[in-house]
Amino acid sequence: MSLMQENEIKFYCPQNINELDQIIKTSKEKLTFVAGTTDLMALEHEWKKINNLVDLNCVKELSQKIEIQSDGILIGAAVPMSGIINHSLIKDKFTILVEALQQVGSEQIQNRATLGGNIINASPAGDSLPVLNVLNAQLWIGPQKNGEFEKIQVSEIMSGPDETTLKTNKYIAYVLFPFPEGENLFWYFRKVGQREALAISKLSLAVLGWFKNGKIENIRISAGAVTAQVKRAIKTESALINKELNEKLIDEARKSLEDEIAPITDIRSNVEYRKQICGELLRDALFQVKLEN
Amino acid sequence: MKIVLIVNRKPYKINVEPKRRLLDILRDDLNFIGTKEGCGKGECGACTVLLNGRRVNSCLVPAFQLEGSTVITVEGLRNWKVFKPIERAFIENGAVQCGFCFPGFVISTVSFLKEKSSPVTLDKIKTAFGGNICRCTGYTKILAAIQELADQKDIIDQIQEDWKNEFNARK
Repeated sequence: MSLMQENEIKFYCPQNINELDQIIKTSKEKLTFVAGTTDLMALEHEWKKINNLVDLNCVKELSQKIEIQSDGILIGAAVPMSGIINHSLIKDKFTILVEALQQVGSEQIQNRATLGGNIINASPAGDSLPVLNVLNAQLWIGPQKNGEFEKIQVSEIMSGPDETTLKTNKYIAYVLFPFPEGENLFWYFRKVGQREALAISKLSLAVLGWFKNGKIENIRISAGAVTAQVKRAIKTESALINKELNEKLIDEARKSLEDEIAPITDIRSNVEYRKQICGELLRDALFQVKLEN
Repeated sequence: MKIVLIVNRKPYKINVEPKRRLLDILRDDLNFIGTKEGCGKGECGACTVLLNGRRVNSCLVPAFQLEGSTVITVEGLRNWKVFKPIERAFIENGAVQCGFCFPGFVISTVSFLKEKSSPVTLDKIKTAFGGNICRCTGYTKILAAIQELADQKDIIDQIQEDWKNEFNARK
């Protein structure tokens, strides 16, 4: 473990998870866990205020580990997004995740930015959040208690815009992506922004589901930048489950989603646009699914 | 804090503020002024450099993460044989006007051509260069220069060799 201190700025470079947890245990200050720093440093006034830094890049288990397990893929929260994008098995099994991450910032950003950072920022416009949500991603929260991480669903992490439910000096260690249960999987992701690269979302939509005997057996719908939390559109989902997909149903689903989301007007877009386009994206998604099945 | 980092093949031992930006270290401390500051927020790509072989915005990298790192700026590409043809392609296509974004575009060019998967389409180039902004050319000429480079096998081979010399030889 190395601690360096300079003009009131303290920063730690723990070499493994045990060292990291030990730092947290003995620390009396509020710590800021950093990895890619892409969002932190872009907000200059926030960056200036941070005095106690823990560099998660030092912890190889968190910044390099991508592990295939029997029930899914475990990804270190500090692995740069390009490491996930270029992983052949993730590309194959979780194409929707790769497509979403490819739309985060630019390649320069993807080489530094991490899933953990995107989640912990808790921006309603966080690009990966709707996709993590439809993939039922599980977050492993440290420090460990009796050698175990606390496990929560991604939908439980945000308490409001830019606010998380994590207590002081807790960190995201890993994200577990369970392999989806269904066969004949369909999925859809679209992000709407001012331009394709480096745009903050006006809105986004992630859909994942599967058919059985000609009917939708399961579908998960999560929209980004139109709700204050990471939330699935449960009402719209249940209107679609166990149904055969036809034009009438697709139109009902579109209307249902427009009613179910609660967007706000801000500098990037307004309520009317967000509602309408979100509904249209769902229609687009379902028509595409109908064509392919 | 004291850190050691290698910039353009030369090691530097420097004393810096832990939260100082790599961009400021390069420009103000080490006088590599080829790297430019545009937005300072990771959007324009004028400050793009290769950090341990991957292109990043140097305005978003703090000093405390740099210990032992290898940085290549546009000045460092003078050591690369492929630099001349890249420069020529940009000039001949009229892809450089005010020149401010050019260092970032050249770094992105070597990074893109090193990783490229064939065939190189205009769409692929546009996606790969989404993080570099130019306010003069309207992009058409830049895209033409990159496409021209990507279509030449000897350029691609040369990049692979230069890359090897830069990153593998000295380990």
